Amino acid sequence: MNPNLIPAVDPAGLPGPLWLFHVLLVFTFFLHLVFMNLTLGGTLLAVFAHLKSGGRRDDFRGVLAGRLMAINNYGISLTITTGVAPLLFIQLIYQQYFYTATILLAPVWLAMLVLLTAGYYAAYLYKFRGAPARGSGGGLWLSVSAVMFLLIAMIHVAVNLVHAQPEIWGSLADGNWSVFSDPTYWPRLLHFVFAGLGFAALVTAWWAVRRVLEGVDTEVNTAIAGWVWRWALWTTVLQVADGFLLLMLLPRPVLRGIMSGGVATLGPLTLAILVGIGLLMMLARVSSPVEKPGLVTGTLGAMTLTIAVMSITRHQVRALYLEPSAAQFNFQVVPQWGNFVLFALLLVAGLATVGFMVWRVLTSPASGTDAA
Amino acid sequence: MDYPIWELAMGGGMLMAIVAIPHVIVSHFAIGGGLLIVVTETLAVKRDDPELRELARRSSLVLILVSTVFGAISGVGIWVVAGLISPAAISALIHTYVWGWAIEWVFFILEIVAALVYYTTWDKISKGAHLLVGWLYFIGAYFSLVVINGIITFMLTPGRWLETNAFWDGFFNPTYWPSLLLRTGIVILMATAFMVFPALRTGAERKAAVLRYLGWWFVGGALLSYAGYRWWEATLPSTVRNLFSGADPALATLASTRSLTLWSLTAALVLGVVILIVAPRLARSTTAVVMAIAAFAFFGGYERLREGARKPFLVHSHIFSNGLLVNDIGAINEEGVLVRSGWAAKGANDSLSVGRNIFRTQCSSCHTLDGYQSIRRALPTYSDVLDVAGGEGVGVFEAECGACHSDVSETEMREMLPTPAEIVEDPGMIHDLNRGMIYMAVSQLYEMGEAYGATPSGEMINTAELYSSYMPPFVGTDEELEALVEYLAFVARGDAVELAANGGGR
Repeated sequence: MNPNLIPAVDPAGLPGPLWLFHVLLVFTFFLHLVFMNLTLGGTLLAVFAHLKSGGRRDDFRGVLAGRLMAINNYGISLTITTGVAPLLFIQLIYQQYFYTATILLAPVWLAMLVLLTAGYYAAYLYKFRGAPARGSGGGLWLSVSAVMFLLIAMIHVAVNLVHAQPEIWGSLADGNWSVFSDPTYWPRLLHFVFAGLGFAALVTAWWAVRRVLEGVDTEVNTAIAGWVWRWALWTTVLQVADGFLLLMLLPRPVLRGIMSGGVATLGPLTLAILVGIGLLMMLARVSSPVEKPGLVTGTLGAMTLTIAVMSITRHQVRALYLEPSAAQFNFQVVPQWGNFVLFALLLVAGLATVGFMVWRVLTSPASGTDAA
Repeated sequence: MDYPIWELAMGGGMLMAIVAIPHVIVSHFAIGGGLLIVVTETLAVKRDDPELRELARRSSLVLILVSTVFGAISGVGIWVVAGLISPAAISALIHTYVWGWAIEWVFFILEIVAALVYYTTWDKISKGAHLLVGWLYFIGAYFSLVVINGIITFMLTPGRWLETNAFWDGFFNPTYWPSLLLRTGIVILMATAFMVFPALRTGAERKAAVLRYLGWWFVGGALLSYAGYRWWEATLPSTVRNLFSGADPALATLASTRSLTLWSLTAALVLGVVILIVAPRLARSTTAVVMAIAAFAFFGGYERLREGARKPFLVHSHIFSNGLLVNDIGAINEEGVLVRSGWAAKGANDSLSVGRNIFRTQCSSCHTLDGYQSIRRALPTYSDVLDVAGGEGVGVFEAECGACHSDVSETEMREMLPTPAEIVEDPGMIHDLNRGMIYMAVSQLYEMGEAYGATPSGEMINTAELYSSYMPPFVGTDEELEALVEYLAFVARGDAVELAANGGGR
C-alpha cells in the first residue's frame, strides 16, 4: 500500500532545464496577469461606473464603462491567449500537484469554462446591446460578465491553494476540508481584485489623460481621469493593507522561508513593498492627473513593475509551500535546445510582427472610399 | 494511474467529445474562414466589388465571435478536460511536445490579435493595411494548424519516434503531410459551408456570381480533402489500416464509419456543385444546411475514424488512454497498482474496495457504472443467465453471450448451465457463474498485457490480433485481479450504488 498521495513525475523527463521552465512560467504568468487585471478589474470598475452613472451614456462614468468594456473586448481575448502559456508550463513542472488539485476540484474547475464563455459573451452583449445612447439602463450583461470573472478568480485562487498543499488532499477528498477554511483564501482573492481594480483604473486614467492632451473630449476625459485616479489610490491603499495581512497569515514555515531566503526571496518582496508604497505616494500626490501626465505614466509603469515583481514572489511562495514534498522528486532532463531556440526566435519574430501590424494600423487611418 | 479519479456520470470520453467536437469544427472554420475572407477582400479591392467586400465584412464578425471567443475557450477546455480525465496521458504528451505547443502559442497570439484588429478596423484604416492584417491573421491561424497537426498525427502514427524518442521523428511522422493536405481541404470546406449563409443575403443581381465563387472554393476544398484522405489512408501502417478497410476489416463499426465518411464527402461535393455552381437558384438556407451537414459528417467521420483507429492508445504503442505506459506493464504486474499509487490505495480496506479502486484507476477513463459505456450493462446479468438456462428470451444468447462464446451454440451453452430448477434451489449459483465469466474476461485482458509487453520496443502494435482491440490490458497482481473480479460481480448483482454510498465497504 502506498500512503503517498503525490503522484510521481512523468518519466519522460523535462525537455529543458528546470530553471528555464520556472523563468518561462513566471514570465508568461506576468503577461497573463497584465491582461487578467484589465479583464477582472476593468469589468468590476465598469460595473461601479455604470451604476454611478445611473446607466446613462451622457454621464462621464457611463462613457468610462463603455470604454473599459471596449478595451475588454481585446483584453478578455488576450487574457485567455496569454493564459495558455503558463497553463502549459505549470503542467510541465508542477504536473503532480496541479492535476491533482484540479481533479479534486473538478466540478468547479470545469465550470470555469462555462463561466468564462458566459462572461465573455455577456461582455459582447453589453457592447452591442448595452447602455442606450439616450436614457438609462443596460447594466445587466455588464453585471453578469463581472460576476462570472469574479467567480473565475475565486476558482483560480482555490486551485492554487489546493495544489500547493498536498497535506490537505486526503481531507479534501474525504470532504473534511474546504478552501474557505484556509485563512489566506479571502486575502489572496482580494489581492487579485484590488490589483485588478487599481491597474484598470490607472490604464484608463492614462488613456483619458492622453485624450485630453490630444484635445479630444477634454471635459469628459478630465472627469474620467480624476474619478479613476481616486479608484487607483484607494484600491492601492487597501491592496497594501491586504498584502501585509496575507503575509502575516501565511503558514509559519512559508513565512520563515521568505524571511530566511536571503536576497532571493527578500529582494523581490522588499522591492514589491517599496514600489507599492512609492506607488501610493505617487497616487496621493496628484489631485488632478491631467495636469501631471508624466507622473501618470510613471505611476502606471510602477504599477506594472509591482505586478512583475509580485509574480516572482508569488512563485517563490508556492515553492516554499511545496518545499517539504518537492525534495522527493528528481527531474530527469532531456533537453531539446534546438526547439527552445526555435521557440525563442519565433516568439521574438511573432511579437515583432504583432508590433509592426499595430504600428501599420495606427499609421494608416483612412475614411470614406479610401478605407477598407 | 497515480492520480485521483473524478467520477463523472456521463463519462470522461463523452465530456471530452462535448468540448472537443465543437472546438475542432470552430478551429478549422477559423483557419479556413481567415483564408476565404482575406482572399475575398483582396479580390473585392482589386475588382472594386462592393458585394464581395460586404461578404468578407459580414463573415468577419462571426469569425471573431466564434473563433476568438469560443475557439479560444474550448481550446483551453480540451486541456482542462484532458487534465481531469487523463492527467498522466496528457502529461506524457506535454513532456514530449511542450516546445511544439509553445511555438503554436506564438502563432496563436498573432492569430488572435490580428483577428481582433481585422474586425474592429473596417472603415477605419487604409485598404492595404487592412489586407495586411487579414493575411497576417491567416498566416498565424494556418501555422497553428501546421504545428498542432504534427502532435495530432504523432498520436496515431508515432513512427520512428518509438525507437528514437526524437521530437522531429514524431512530429514529421508518416501521416503528417497527408493529414496536413487533408486538413487544408477541410478548413476550406468548413469555411465555405459557413460563408454560403452570409452570401445568401447578397443582392439578387450578384447573388449567383457570389455563390459560384464560393462553389469553386467548395469544390477545391472537397477535392483536396479527398486526395488528402486517400493519401492518409495509404500511409497508415497496415496494422492500423486493416482495422477499418480492406476485404475483411477487423472492426466493423470503424469500417462503417469509413463508408459514412467517404459517402458524406461525395454527397457534399455533389450538393456543392449543384446548388452553388450549376443551379445557384437552388441555394437556400435549407439546401445550404444540408450541404453543411454533409461536409460536417465527412469531417466528423474522419475524426471518429482517426480516434477509433488509435484506441486504446493515447500515443499508439506507447501510452494507453488510461495513462498506462506500455513499458510499465511488467513492473505493475509485479508490484501491483496499490503499491504504485497512493490514490488507488486510499480507502482500499477490503477486497471489494480494492476492486472498486482498481476499477476507478484502470477502467473509469472509458467506463462509467451506469452512464456512458456503462460497465454494468457490459457485464453478464442474472436475467441473461436465467433466460439462457431456461431457454427463454429470444436472441439473448446471441446478443449477450455471442461475443465471448462464439465457439458454442445456444443449446450447448444451455447444457453446460444449471437448470432453472437447480438455480432456484441454490440462487447463489448465478453469482458464481457470473463471477466465473467476469474472471475469464479480466484474465484475458491480463494476458493481453503480456502480449503488449512482448512486442519488440519501437514497433507498432497490431491491436487487431488481441483479445479486445479497443481496450487497454488489465495490470496488477493476482490479488488485485481477484479484487476487480469480485467488485465487478458485485456491480453485476446491482449493489454498486450501496457500495459507492458507504465508501467501498460492505
